[in-house]
Amino acid sequence: MSALLAPHAVTWRVAMVAEVVQENPQAVTLVLDLPEWPGHVAGQHVDVRLTAPDGYQAQRSYSISSGPEEGRLALTVERIDDGEVSPYLAGVLEAGDELEFRGPIGGHFTWRVEDGGPLLLIGGGSGLAPLMSMLRHRRAHGSELDTRLLVSARTEADLLYRDELAEGPGLAIHRTLTRERPGGWAGYDRRVDRAMLEEVGPPPAERPHVFVCGPTGFVEAVADALVELGHDPGAIHAERFGPTG
Amino acid sequence: MSEPLDPVGIVGDDAAWLDGNGVAGLLAEVFGVELSAVVRVCGTCGTAAPVGAHRAYLSAGIVLRCPHCADVAIRIARLPDRDIVYVGGSWSVELPRR
Repeated sequence: MSALLAPHAVTWRVAMVAEVVQENPQAVTLVLDLPEWPGHVAGQHVDVRLTAPDGYQAQRSYSISSGPEEGRLALTVERIDDGEVSPYLAGVLEAGDELEFRGPIGGHFTWRVEDGGPLLLIGGGSGLAPLMSMLRHRRAHGSELDTRLLVSARTEADLLYRDELAEGPGLAIHRTLTRERPGGWAGYDRRVDRAMLEEVGPPPAERPHVFVCGPTGFVEAVADALVELGHDPGAIHAERFGPTG
Repeated sequence: MSEPLDPVGIVGDDAAWLDGNGVAGLLAEVFGVELSAVVRVCGTCGTAAPVGAHRAYLSAGIVLRCPHCADVAIRIARLPDRDIVYVGGSWSVELPRR
C-alpha cells in the first residue's frame, strides 16, 4: 500500500453555524457555513476547539456526516452529559454562532466510490455519522454497489437519520435495538455479535471493505467478531470515540 | 459512558486509547502532512499497519503504539513552547513534489 502525502494545512479556522438540527434527544447535527471548504472524503473528521474566556482550550474530533458532494459541512454531535465539549455543541450552540475547527482530517477511515466494494458499514450510536457520509457519497454517484449497513442503538428514538435511511438498489439496512424496542419490532434485539454479522454479510470470501465506528467497547467487540468470522484484519477500518465528550 | 475508566489506562483498558486516525489532526500539526494512511512497519514485531490503525494513548501529549505488540511508534510531548517528538520503527513515506 502506498500513500501519497499531500502537504496538509491544519490551520484553525472559524465557521458559522448555519443550522442546528435536533436528531434525537441526545444528538444534534451542526450544519456549518464554509465559504472556502477544500472538500472532504467520506469518513474524515474535523477537530473542534472551544476556548474559555480565561484562555483554557478543549478540543475534540467529530466525524463529518455530510457527503462530499453537498457543498456544506455537517457534524453530528452526541451529548455526553459530563463531557467538556459536547454539552456546549449539543445544547448551547445556535445558528449564527461561530465555531473554531480544523480539517478535513484523516486518510485511513475513508471510502470513495472508486474504492469499490462490497461495503460493510457497522455503526454504534452516533458512530453512524461517518458511515452516513459514505452512504450519501454512494447515493450522490448513483452507485448500486453491494452495501450492508448495520446500525446499533439503544432505543428506536436514538436511531439517527431515521427519515433518510432507506434501502435501495444494492443497499441493505439492518437495525438492532439493545435496550428497548417498540411493539412489532422486526429488527434485531441484542448487541452486535458474530451470528448477526454472519447474517448481515457479506462473507469474508467476498473481501468487503469494512468500516466500524462507535464507542470503544462496541468497536472492540465488533472487530473481534469480524476477525473470528475470518475477515481480513487489514480490511477492517475502525474509529473509536474514546471516553471523553 | 457507562464503562469504568482507568484514568492512567496504559495497559489493558480498551476505553483509554483511540485509533491513530483520531489524532491525525495533531500529527498533521506536528509533521505537516496527513500521516494516517502511511504504513509503518514495526521495528519490534514486523507488523505493517497504517498510522491510522495504531493505538493512540492521550495524556499531556500522545503515545502511538503498534496495534500488535504495543511498541512505541511515535511519542509527542507537548510543552508550552515546543513539542518533543520521538519516532520509532520503520517507516515508508511518499511525498509529492512541489
